[in-house]
Amino acid sequence: MRCSETVFIVDDEPALLKALGRLLKAEGFAVQAFDSAMKFLSAPHNNGAGCVLLDQSMPSMSGLELQQRLLQEDSALAVIFITGNGDIPMSVRAIKAGAVDFLTKPIKDNELLTVIRTALEKSRTTLSARAEIKEWKQRHAELSAREKEVLLYVVKGLPNKHIAATLGVVEQTVKVHRGRVMSKMCVDSLAKLVLVAERLQLK
Amino acid sequence: MNWVTIIWSMTAAASLTLAGVHGFVWMRRKQQMASLMFCIMAAATAGMAGCELWTMKQMDMESYAHALQWYNLMRWIVTLALVGFIHFYLGSGRPWLEWTVCALRTLSLLVNFVFSPMVYYTSIEELVRIRFLGTEVTIVEGIPSPLSIIGQLSLLVLAAYLVDATWRSAQRRDKPGAVRVGLSAVFFVLALSIQMMFALWGFIDMPIVASLFFAGILVVMGIELSEDMLRSAKLAEDLKIRERELLAERKLTDAIFESAPGMLYLQSADGSMVRWNSQHERVTGYSNTETSQMRADDFCVEAEKEMLNQARNIALAQGGHDVEFDLARRDGRTSRHFFRMVPVEVAGEPHLVGIGIDISSQRALAAETERQREQMAHIARVASVSELSSSLAHEINQPLAIILSNAQAAQRIMAHENPDLNELREILEDIVSADIRAADVIKRLRSILRQGKPALETVSPNALFDEALSMAQPDLKSAGVQVSRRHSKKLPLIQADRIPIEQVLLNLIKNACEAMEDNGSREKTLSLTCVNEGAWLRFSVRDNGHGLSEDACKIFEAFHTTKPNGLGLGLTICQTIVRAHGGNLWSEQNKSHGATFHFQLPIVPENL
Repeated sequence: MRCSETVFIVDDEPALLKALGRLLKAEGFAVQAFDSAMKFLSAPHNNGAGCVLLDQSMPSMSGLELQQRLLQEDSALAVIFITGNGDIPMSVRAIKAGAVDFLTKPIKDNELLTVIRTALEKSRTTLSARAEIKEWKQRHAELSAREKEVLLYVVKGLPNKHIAATLGVVEQTVKVHRGRVMSKMCVDSLAKLVLVAERLQLK
Repeated sequence: MNWVTIIWSMTAAASLTLAGVHGFVWMRRKQQMASLMFCIMAAATAGMAGCELWTMKQMDMESYAHALQWYNLMRWIVTLALVGFIHFYLGSGRPWLEWTVCALRTLSLLVNFVFSPMVYYTSIEELVRIRFLGTEVTIVEGIPSPLSIIGQLSLLVLAAYLVDATWRSAQRRDKPGAVRVGLSAVFFVLALSIQMMFALWGFIDMPIVASLFFAGILVVMGIELSEDMLRSAKLAEDLKIRERELLAERKLTDAIFESAPGMLYLQSADGSMVRWNSQHERVTGYSNTETSQMRADDFCVEAEKEMLNQARNIALAQGGHDVEFDLARRDGRTSRHFFRMVPVEVAGEPHLVGIGIDISSQRALAAETERQREQMAHIARVASVSELSSSLAHEINQPLAIILSNAQAAQRIMAHENPDLNELREILEDIVSADIRAADVIKRLRSILRQGKPALETVSPNALFDEALSMAQPDLKSAGVQVSRRHSKKLPLIQADRIPIEQVLLNLIKNACEAMEDNGSREKTLSLTCVNEGAWLRFSVRDNGHGLSEDACKIFEAFHTTKPNGLGLGLTICQTIVRAHGGNLWSEQNKSHGATFHFQLPIVPENL
């Protein structure tokens, strides 16, 4: 297990907080427990992959509200809801807002651990995806204005001759630009370039 | 034939006829002694008339005296019979006067026999033939004897006796003809006395005509007796009519007895059965013969006999009573009956007339209604559980979640190479306390769902508030309600089923929170008060929300709700709970904002 991955538990019931903490610690997770949403928000929690085990019904700030706050913070933490008496509309809202799962108390350990692992995986994926995009964005930023132009036409599938005609240059120049784009973006095929462009939502 | 013969013969004949008629009457009705006396008197009067006629026709002294002796015997019988008649007919004569009359007359008769041939005269000079009513009759002339005064005296005493008896009878007013009979007898007796005296002392020349006077008395008496007989006949006729009427009446009561929708019976005061209708026979299953040998309480189940007998006594003493008991049928089945008993006098004895109606079906219906009502209340309570206790469901899951997670954590810790025993100990402690908590929650739920009477315990009102507030805390906190508790810490203890009353408080608090949802800028305040009102403790929950709507009186009705998702049962259930405690729940619109709900619970007596 990676030390940077933390399981946060937010529940207003101290005894449950303690029990879940014990269970997860016994499985070797790094656990941080908070008995209110506010305490969790004011503590550092956005340093890496991780997940939040969130009690849906809590006084002052409910689980759903906290989930919204995390989305606003653009947090990579995956959210798992636990609830005493959750109803369907509430769980739909939670899942739509990106929650990994919606568990009903009492929670079976295997179920919980599976969900937590899934959530951590998701968080890791999110983080790595974000890192990848960040890298591509950097690479994209390093392209010259002409190269960015050429890139757009290339991913649209235009042949070099057309691109040259459109830009008012000779076909050879387009080929040079295209080769530079490929090497600067570190891609070895047109298909990969198209994928990256899509990820970066280039238009 | 001459007038004397005709008159005296006819008098004798008429007297004999009367004697015959009344003798016959007496033969038929031996207890009518007056008739016997009348018969004797009439027969003797006939004898007198015969003797008088006999004397009037005598020519020599000796045979005249012989006839006169017979005559005196007849006089004696007539007098005694007259006294007897008055004695039996009027029944009002003084005995000593009766005895005096009889004694004097008897003495007169004896004297007459001793001083033969004549008592009336000391010396008889001659027999005289005089003309009387156109014919010659024999009379005696001589010096009257002083002993003849006895006969006169007996007549006067007889007259006095008659006057006295008539007067006393008239005073009693029991015989309508008494005065007529008495006065006419007095009149004829006095007239006879005067005539006798005049004849005896020689003032007038007349034969002895006493039989005519007695015949006069006989006629009046005969008329009276006939009238009496007529009256009896009328009475007999009336009696027959009355009997027919009674028969019709009896048939009517029979019809009434039969037409009654239930059992109808007549019982004597000691409980024996006198009369009953066929319905009685049909319902009890006992035949008429069996019923006639049974007593009132034989138709009652053993357990209620005492009660029935008391009710019967009350009915007899107080002019009627109602009672309900299980009727014991012949086949062993019982059915609940309502009885109304009314005392009535039958043949001078106190009786009870009663009607019995089978109310077992009504009872069953009422029981069914009550059962349905209870079931309804139970359903309402069950329904309200989902409304009242979403927090309770949460509370059940919470300890279960704690237990499960702790237990599973422990399993995993024990799988480690060196399990942390301290940690395991703590886990077990937490499991125990969570378990206790879960048990409490279940107990609470069961108490809410339980049917029937509240299980009362002595509780402190402060503890009720504490518990209800702690349960309502999440709602109060999320709604941002300011709670103020204004009551003494030294409140008396009350008798209450703790959990339902806490639910009532919780429900009222939750309602208050909902009423204050739209308060806007106005601060939400909830105040809880508890006031000692002597026998009662009054709990009040006051909010400053939107208050009660116009149809505030409906809020306690089942299924009336102002909430979009409400069942409309909360307050109904609250009221049911409070009423089960003998208290009451009501609401009140505040002068400024919001409403106040009050409920009262009785204070434990020793803490008054």
